Amino acid sequence: MAADVAPTDGGSAGLPEAAQRRLGHGPWSSSLSVADFASCVALGIEPVGFVQGYAVVTWRYVSGYAGRPVGYRTFTGYPNLGDTGDYMEQWRCPHGFVGGEHRMFGYNFEQVWVEQAWRQGYGLAFGRMLEEAVGLGAHGVIGLVDDMTPLAGTGAEEFSIRGTAVVVPGAKPPPRPFTTFLAGQRLVKLLEAGFMPVSVVAVCSAVQMWGYCMTAYQMVGSAASWSGGVAGVTSIDQVDRAQRAVRELAREHARAELGGDTLHGVSLQVSEREIGEADLSLQCVLKGTRVRRFKDFDPLPPPTPVVRLT
Amino acid sequence: MSADELLAGMAALSGDAPAKSRGVTSDLTIDETLLLHGMGWEPVDVVFGVSWWSIPYGFWQWQAGELTEASTAFAGAMETATAELRDECARAGGTGVVGVSVEFAVHSRHVDVALAGTAVRRIDEKPTDRKARQNAAFVSDLSARDFVLLTRAGWEPLSLVAGASFVVAPRRSAGQWAAQKTQYVELPNLTQSLYLARERAMERMQSAALQARADGVVEVKLREGPLGNVGRTGVRVMQFIAVGTAVRLGSDGHHSIAPVMVVSLDDALRQFEATSLRQPG
Repeated sequence: MAADVAPTDGGSAGLPEAAQRRLGHGPWSSSLSVADFASCVALGIEPVGFVQGYAVVTWRYVSGYAGRPVGYRTFTGYPNLGDTGDYMEQWRCPHGFVGGEHRMFGYNFEQVWVEQAWRQGYGLAFGRMLEEAVGLGAHGVIGLVDDMTPLAGTGAEEFSIRGTAVVVPGAKPPPRPFTTFLAGQRLVKLLEAGFMPVSVVAVCSAVQMWGYCMTAYQMVGSAASWSGGVAGVTSIDQVDRAQRAVRELAREHARAELGGDTLHGVSLQVSEREIGEADLSLQCVLKGTRVRRFKDFDPLPPPTPVVRLT
Repeated sequence: MSADELLAGMAALSGDAPAKSRGVTSDLTIDETLLLHGMGWEPVDVVFGVSWWSIPYGFWQWQAGELTEASTAFAGAMETATAELRDECARAGGTGVVGVSVEFAVHSRHVDVALAGTAVRRIDEKPTDRKARQNAAFVSDLSARDFVLLTRAGWEPLSLVAGASFVVAPRRSAGQWAAQKTQYVELPNLTQSLYLARERAMERMQSAALQARADGVVEVKLREGPLGNVGRTGVRVMQFIAVGTAVRLGSDGHHSIAPVMVVSLDDALRQFEATSLRQPG
């Protein structure tokens, strides 16, 4: 969770020597477009450097003991769920004992290791970028762009985040630089509206669904033969619950970082992978800019509708 | 914006966050937030609605005609997801949901619908009973800009409405196939199936609007054509899905928004033509 991440020592001492030399003198660099640059300068914000952070982290479950890999079913029918965090639900087969292959239990659970690995990767990259900004004496970083790229065949993910460090001449440096995905006119309008960006908020939630027998029948369309009350065209309850949970967890993770501020410009990316018949792995990444109201503003006059003649 | 205001913004970063128990989340752009504020509305929370419905095995058949199970599954998934969105909106204290993104997928064995939007409310609205809010909450896939425009014109959004139909196209006889093989001709079996699907889907959407006591449906979006690889090989299924926002004329009647005509003084974009540099001849 990005907002929790701080530079290692509040200064630039942690930066590689070459980076310190590069950032220490010479012309500034920036990832702003010319239009965004012009808007920011007009607003009174000056760029001081193009700052970046990267981290490549392990992207697989690492067990602390020689146990079963998390999530995989065993001959007993009970998967090793690992740490299930704040969300776990269980379903039971209505048929009684049918056979060893029968899915007697179904589980939906939060996959804490995915969230921790994501938080670690994003947090490291974000912290390193912020460290460069602090080294430049920046008051904030604007126009952030982040990315997460799997490195094929290595069980690793690369996290990257970059933006333009800026200063506001005459302002007292904030306790930590503000950060935002916005730049240019969108940032100007945000400030005009009386909101000051505090920090980007980026969170990940993950839910694993192991379908029990009825969910499996519904997913393959054979529920009519083994109905147990879910014959025909019906809602697949276990999937619905998992899909809801992954979104709600992401929203709650983000809300935990707001402290009463507002999360603006939320983007939501949900990915799902069917890892077997009726088994789903769900992941949700929610991002936005935490903003704080610093002044009231008068409502806009009703806008004038126009028809453009070309 | 003045320099003093910017410095005031920077100073706010040194203070504590406002002591509120619940932070607001919103997927609106700043333009949309300002527009809504100008109309006396504010965002409350990002809300979701998701539903998957199963389709029983063995009904993607050779027989021509509508596959009612798929249509029913789509309607059920859409209705469940919309109801969930309303419930989330009411829990967050919202009056309705704007800018709902509608994502759906039709698979062989299940239909998936996922909705997400921002719950909004009037700034001066007094808290009411959650159940009452849930029943009254509107759900709309209109952008905040379109919502503002619609409201100014005296109309109010009510609900997302949808209709879907999936029709198996009849197969051509061997004689027809052979006769048409070397001709450019219309394939009436496919055209007629598409028309059948169209009529059923549009009728369902309209009857959903009627149920919502709407006067009309705006911003109808269509997905139509062959469904793709579902069921048995060789079964040609034509799909027609219509989704829109049901609207009703407010008690004050329609207001003319009287748009102003403007002429842009910007030059039209001129493309640089490299060939114009060549000398004639």
